[in-house]
Order: sequence, then structure tokens, then C-alpha cells
Amino acid sequence: MLRLIVSRLIFMVLAAFLLLSFLFALFHLIPGDPAQLMAGDNAPEHLVQSIRAAYGFDQPLTTQYFNYMGKVLQGDFGLSNYSRQPVLDIVFPRIVNTAALAGCAMLLAMTTSLILGSFSAMFWNRPLDKGVTVVSLIGICTPVFVTGIIGIYVFAVWLRWLPIGGMSTWKHFVLPVATLGAYQAAIFTRMVRSCMVDALSRDFITTARAKGAPERTVVFHHALRNALLPIITLFGLGLGHTLGGSVVTETIFNWPGLGRLMVDAILSRDLPVLQGSIFFFAIIFILVNLIVDILYTWADPRISYD
Amino acid sequence: MRNFLRQFSRDRVGVVFGLILIAIYIVAITAQWIVPSDPYKTQLSQGMRPPSWEHWFGTDQFGRDMLSRVILATQVTAKITTSALLFAVLLGVPIGMIVGYHGGWLDEIIMRITDIMLIFPIIMLAIVIVVIAGPSERGVVIALGMSQLPQFIRIARGVTLSVKQELYVEAAIAAGAGWPFILRRHIWPNISTPVIVQATLTLPVFVLNASALSYLGLGVQPPTPEWGQMLNEAKELLIAAPYLIIGPSVALFLFVISANLLGDSLQETLNPKTKGQRMKREFQKFSRRGLKPGKMRVERAARAEIQR
Repeated sequence: MLRLIVSRLIFMVLAAFLLLSFLFALFHLIPGDPAQLMAGDNAPEHLVQSIRAAYGFDQPLTTQYFNYMGKVLQGDFGLSNYSRQPVLDIVFPRIVNTAALAGCAMLLAMTTSLILGSFSAMFWNRPLDKGVTVVSLIGICTPVFVTGIIGIYVFAVWLRWLPIGGMSTWKHFVLPVATLGAYQAAIFTRMVRSCMVDALSRDFITTARAKGAPERTVVFHHALRNALLPIITLFGLGLGHTLGGSVVTETIFNWPGLGRLMVDAILSRDLPVLQGSIFFFAIIFILVNLIVDILYTWADPRISYD
Repeated sequence: MRNFLRQFSRDRVGVVFGLILIAIYIVAITAQWIVPSDPYKTQLSQGMRPPSWEHWFGTDQFGRDMLSRVILATQVTAKITTSALLFAVLLGVPIGMIVGYHGGWLDEIIMRITDIMLIFPIIMLAIVIVVIAGPSERGVVIALGMSQLPQFIRIARGVTLSVKQELYVEAAIAAGAGWPFILRRHIWPNISTPVIVQATLTLPVFVLNASALSYLGLGVQPPTPEWGQMLNEAKELLIAAPYLIIGPSVALFLFVISANLLGDSLQETLNPKTKGQRMKREFQKFSRRGLKPGKMRVERAARAEIQR
């Protein structure tokens, strides 16, 4: 266990280092002069010059690289081009909002899929099962922005029950969480169903039934437990998907999260904010991966990483 | 081939949705000729008309016929996703074959890079790459192609590694064949089937992500129509003209579902081994994102456990 964590941590440090180098390269990979980008298109030449000097864009690349790394390691991602606030101050509240959205959506998706998937497997090849299969297939093939827009139309424009976007009361949570959660739930349900079908077809289930265990115990105690390992893998991978999907969901519902911040930074060419948001997104993904890896060994001690 | 067709024709769902997919591609190829009116022609006096016999999906705020725009967008999407697929296959498969065959430090480096790339969801990779490549059709192609490159490298490498052990490869080496010849004659035939299956399964992923990028404003730029971008415009007019979302949504859904179901059936027909093992197949589908050696081992263990 310890060895796994240490080796994963080394991998993380390596990934973070590569990530930082990539973010530094981003300054120079993005088409256009970075100083000009920061100053804006119509900025006078002396302003561009002073920015170039202030950020050290006129120095050799290696010096720039070490300066950048040093600053970032001290938690200094610079100031936003527009609000002139430190990037960290902008990013942190956004991370909390994204975590709230993705967390609620994951919770919704996990509970829905466990219930629907288990029932679908219990009634294998019967109308209920077929219905669930078709609905989840439709869910998988409908992108988040289509479900989101239809949801906005029905519940916000037509029925006027829920707000169109933003984030202040619990009502603002309903549509985004449902949109993002439903998509994940569709993916999860298919998988939970097939894991459960596999688990239910095994010998120990027959034994349990022969012993006279009630069907509830058979399904939720014997089968679900054995189907759990692949399901944990699935939920772990799904958390990454959910965070990726949150970028689009946040844009649809004007949710003040990290994904929307990143997209806005791209569209407004706010390089420091863009670097900050990419950095934290990446760190979150790397952490999620680490947690999933540890969960495996916890869920099934037979698995070891050599 | 005939055997394959006979087997495939038994799968009714696969045949129906395969035909729909072919129809979509025919629409895409002939888009210029079959559009009922010019998709770029603005006619402000005809703006925001609800669906009618004349304009099936209505007209947008500039009076452009939505049906024509949806048809042209089919072409744009088909072009982008097919190019991205070709990009990923033509770049990923040779890299995977070469590093798989030769091994060594190059193999090690490339595998570590794919490990790191696989941590991130495709949409995140695509967003970051599109920032560098520029928000345009070409940018989307590069972004999607690059973000799925690790999958194809891994598949090609995996098959190469196992085929390399076969006797006929050893015989070819003994007979003095060079490695390019061996890769082409002995290894490529084994790779084509898994690559085709992976490609059909990747197509819907590309369609979804291409339109997501355009929805975010990072993909195809107006006035060129694209489903995601049309939906973004339609969202602004949701109160006044809700019917604008019909056309792009239906088209997107049809494309994705038919590609998905065709991919499923192809996989079942081409890999008879996986037949009936839904679990395994769905695992493969789901873990196209996020497979890495550790997880691969876990999943293999999980599968072995289930098949026992």
C-alpha cells in the first residue's frame, strides 16, 4: 500500500512538472506575441514594451522558464489581465463551485445507476430491463448541451419553476445537477447492469437462493458486493468524466465554476487565468486518479501494484 | 468478407443504424446540391419563422433556413470527425507498431506520455489543444485527433507486442526480412480489426466533442454552421424561437446513436470472442478514456474474476 502511494506520488510530481513546463510553453505556443496579448490589441507600443519588460518576455527563454517555475512554486500565477486580481484569488472560489456541481451530479448518477442497474439486472430481458436499456442508450447519445437546453426550455421558460442560470439558491442547483448527473447516470446504468447480470449468473447466487435467502438479500448483499469492484473502477473513471462534462454544463447554466472560468479566459485571451485554471484542473484529475488507484487495493486486496 | 457480411446482416439493429449512418454520410457528401435554399443567405424579413412546409425547422434570426444549415452542418461535422479519425489512426497506429516492435527507451517515453494524457478527459485535452491550434475547423481536427492518439498507439502497440512472439515473425526475421516489411506483412493484418472497431467506437465520441467545442465557441466559427454552435445561438433565442433547437439536436442525436450502435454491432461481429460478454465490451467502451497499465491489470483481474 505504502509503495503504491509513494510510486503514485512520484508519478504525480513528474506529471505536475511536465504540466508546468507545458503551461510555460503555452505563453509561446499561443499564436501572437504574449506581451501584445496581455496589453490588448489596440495598446500603445510603450505599454507593450513595459509589459514585455515587466514579465521578462525580452529575456532569454531559459531565464524566463526558471523565473516562471520559481514563481509558480511560490503560488504566484500572476494577475488577471482584466480584473487585475491575483489568479489564485479568482480560481479558488471557482474550484469550490465546480466541486459542488460535480459532487452533487456524481451522487445523483451513482444512486440512480445503482438502483436502475440492479433492478434492470433483476428483471433481465423483461420489459423493465429493456426500457432501462433503451433510456440509458438515449441518454448516452444526447450531449449535455442538448439536455440542458431542453431542460431550460421546459422548466425555466415554459413552466417557470426554476431559474435559467446562475448560482445562489438550491433551485439553481436543480437543472445543472440533473443535466450533468443524467448523462453520467446513463453511462453508469449500462455498466452497473452488466456487472450485476454477471454477478447474478454465478453459482453462489444459486446457493444463496437454495438456502432460502430472500431475493433482497441475494441481490443487494451477495450480488452487489461482488459486482462492486468493477463498479468502483467505473465510478472513479466517471468522476473524471463528470469534471470534464462540467465545463460544458457550467457554460450552459452560467455556473461560476472553474470550467467556465477556463473557457472565458480562452475567449478573452486572459493568459494568466487560463494557465491557473488549466493547472488546477490538471491537479484535480491527477488527484482523482490517485484516489481511484488506492480505492482498488482497498476494495480488493488481491490486487497489488508491482 | 462474405462471411462477415452474412454474420453482420443477422444483427438487425446494426444493419438499420449502419444504413442510417450511410444515409447521413450521403447527405454530408451531397450537401451542396440537396440544400433547399442557400444556408448563408440572410433575409431579415423572413427572420424567426416557426417550422412550416417551406422551412421544416424554421428560420433563424437572420432569416436563414435552418434545414439547409443543418444539412450543411452535417457535412462540416462529417468532414471534421472523419479527418480527426484519419489523423489519429494514421499517426497513432504506425507509432504504436514501431515502438511496440522495437521497444527500448522510445517505447518507455511514449508510454509514459500516453499515461499522462489518459488521466485527462477528452474534452479537456481537446480544449487545451484547440487553444494552441486555433479555434477553427483545422484546430478541432488536430485537437480531437491528438486527444485520442494514445488509444490508437496503445492498441497498435499491444497487438504488435503479442504478434511479435509468433513463430511466423521469427521465421520472417530468420529469412532476413527487414522490420518495415514485417510490420506491413505480418503485424498490420492483425491490427486492422481492432483498429476498425476502435475507430467506429471513437466516431460518436468525436461527434459529441466536436460539437461541444463549437458550443463553447472554441470550434467551428460562424457563419459556417455546426450543430453545437447552432445550439449555442438557439439558446440565446430560446424564449422567442424555441423551435430552433429541433434541427441540430435531432441531427446530432441521430449521428451519435447510429455510430454508437454500429460500433457495438461491428465489435460483436468482428470479435466473436467478446460475444455475450457484455461486461467486457462495455468495459472496453468505457475505458477508452482512462486506461493505464495499473488499471488495465485491475480490469483484467476483474474480468478474469467474472469469467471464472
